[in-house]
Amino acid sequence: MPPAESSANQLQFHTQLEQATRLDTLQKVELAEGVEIHLRMAGPYVRVLAYALDFLIRVGVLILVGLVLMLVSFLFGMKIAQGIQMLVMFGLTFFYYVIFEAGKRGASPGKRMMGLRVVDTSGAPISFGQSFIRNMLRFADMLPGFYACGLACTLLTKRFQRLGDLLANTVVVYDKVPVVHVAGLSPTLKSLAPGVALTREEQAAILGFRERAGTWSEARRVELSDHAGFLTKSEGEKGMTRLLGMAHWLADKS
Amino acid sequence: MLGKEFEAKNAKRWAEYEKSLKNLESRRAKSHLEADDPSSDLSLFPAMFRQLCSDLGIARHRMYSMPMNERLNALVIRGHKLMHQRSVGTWAKLFHFVAVDFPVSVRKEWRLLIVATLSFILPGLGVVLAGFYWSDFSWIEAVLGEQMMSSLDTMYGSSEDQIANLRAEYGSNFMMFCHYIYNNIGIDFRLYAGGIVACLGSLFFLIYNGVFFGAVIVYIHVACSNEAFYSFVAGHSSYELIAMVIAGMAGLRIGLGLLNPGRKTLARSLMDAGKRSLPLIFGAALMTFLAAAIEGFWSARDMAPNVKYTVGITMWVVCILYLSFAGRGSIKRGRRSA
Repeated sequence: MPPAESSANQLQFHTQLEQATRLDTLQKVELAEGVEIHLRMAGPYVRVLAYALDFLIRVGVLILVGLVLMLVSFLFGMKIAQGIQMLVMFGLTFFYYVIFEAGKRGASPGKRMMGLRVVDTSGAPISFGQSFIRNMLRFADMLPGFYACGLACTLLTKRFQRLGDLLANTVVVYDKVPVVHVAGLSPTLKSLAPGVALTREEQAAILGFRERAGTWSEARRVELSDHAGFLTKSEGEKGMTRLLGMAHWLADKS
Repeated sequence: MLGKEFEAKNAKRWAEYEKSLKNLESRRAKSHLEADDPSSDLSLFPAMFRQLCSDLGIARHRMYSMPMNERLNALVIRGHKLMHQRSVGTWAKLFHFVAVDFPVSVRKEWRLLIVATLSFILPGLGVVLAGFYWSDFSWIEAVLGEQMMSSLDTMYGSSEDQIANLRAEYGSNFMMFCHYIYNNIGIDFRLYAGGIVACLGSLFFLIYNGVFFGAVIVYIHVACSNEAFYSFVAGHSSYELIAMVIAGMAGLRIGLGLLNPGRKTLARSLMDAGKRSLPLIFGAALMTFLAAAIEGFWSARDMAPNVKYTVGITMWVVCILYLSFAGRGSIKRGRRSA
């Protein structure tokens, strides 16, 4: 391939990649130690489920407390029981989330059940103050009803932050890392040098494709490799074989 | 070096790191420490953590397999959380907050203090003046509503101390205390959260409360016993009203973070506003809690009105002196040492 054509080709290839926006919800955070960690942001859907769980838990606690208070009102009188009930209501309304999220696990029981956790945008655990701000602003996020304000804000921000999150500088992330299933194909393919110089991210994508190729059906593999048609200059089965060959070449080289 | 070789070479170190992570994360970490186990030695952990960070960096750079990267990523995240755990010295912190942080930050936001105070007092004053010098009484009735008026009648209806009579039943003081906590601190928190709507929520609640209090005062003067009312509210009024204004200030602060980011980005400005509003709203909640305790257990006691007025005025003076002067010395000392 003549060099001029090659560089034009490469330029076109990279512009095409840059135009493609990322689909995943991984957020890179650089630590003081000079290394990046990847946090998985939790979207509105799973957070709504966690909220529903928390709501049920709070209602359950209120019912249980009501039963216990019936006993208390026999022993100590009606007024004492009413007072305790109001204290419990106060705690559940304003401090349920604040205390759990500022705690060691950084998540309310509902969030924990959904495998979520609230962290600082730097990935560190949040302080009491952050937890307080984030959960007091719930009353603003609830407006005008059904958390409409919070939902709109979550969908508009890159890291799914509602108003409370923005003020407290927090994000909700998945706590547990999902297991990555890996299955390569049998390595009988001949290696093939890619026609253009690839950036590190592109190389990683091609290597990742080879790593996981065994977990997909043939049709899915072809479909995915067709996205790299610009690189392999062919489509379908042939394109996939060429792409795997390049992955092989990259793996051997490094 | 191939991925597998890299993993094999470091597997032992990673396992050790993971073990000490587990030990330090668990609540029984202290008992492990006494057992003299190197894996729970806190002083060794930072070094191990940094080494793992460099491992992750190398693994990413050499594009080793995804599962290895993911595993190292998860291990680094766990270590990062452990390293950045905040130490707690709750009582010392609380004391310092009450003695220094809270009054200092109220004074620092003196402009907001003026705005919040005026937007509470002016509407109230307007209603009071209008109520006394205007013959038309109907709109005071409109502000209060029928229910509120009848409950004011039962509480302050005659010069006999009606509230004390209501509090005769055992435990009702406690119940009212809890009621004031639920209600008044709740109002503070709503005042605060309302501020994010471009300050409008906080301003609305402040003005609304001003109008409402004004109307109550007019109604008491016209229809009820002044003595019953003023001797009841004297004790706790200072803390409750000042706390409400301060909660309003906290709300205005976060609203201004949205309205006036200055040279910061909007996200940064919101974050800073949140931080600056925190001492204000914490302090307001503490003061309201104090007011609820006084209101629940002391204000309804059967005592000579003059005693109550004296205590009330003393409380106002103490409160204002506290907010104007507490913590000044510590700032000067801080500046000198800096």
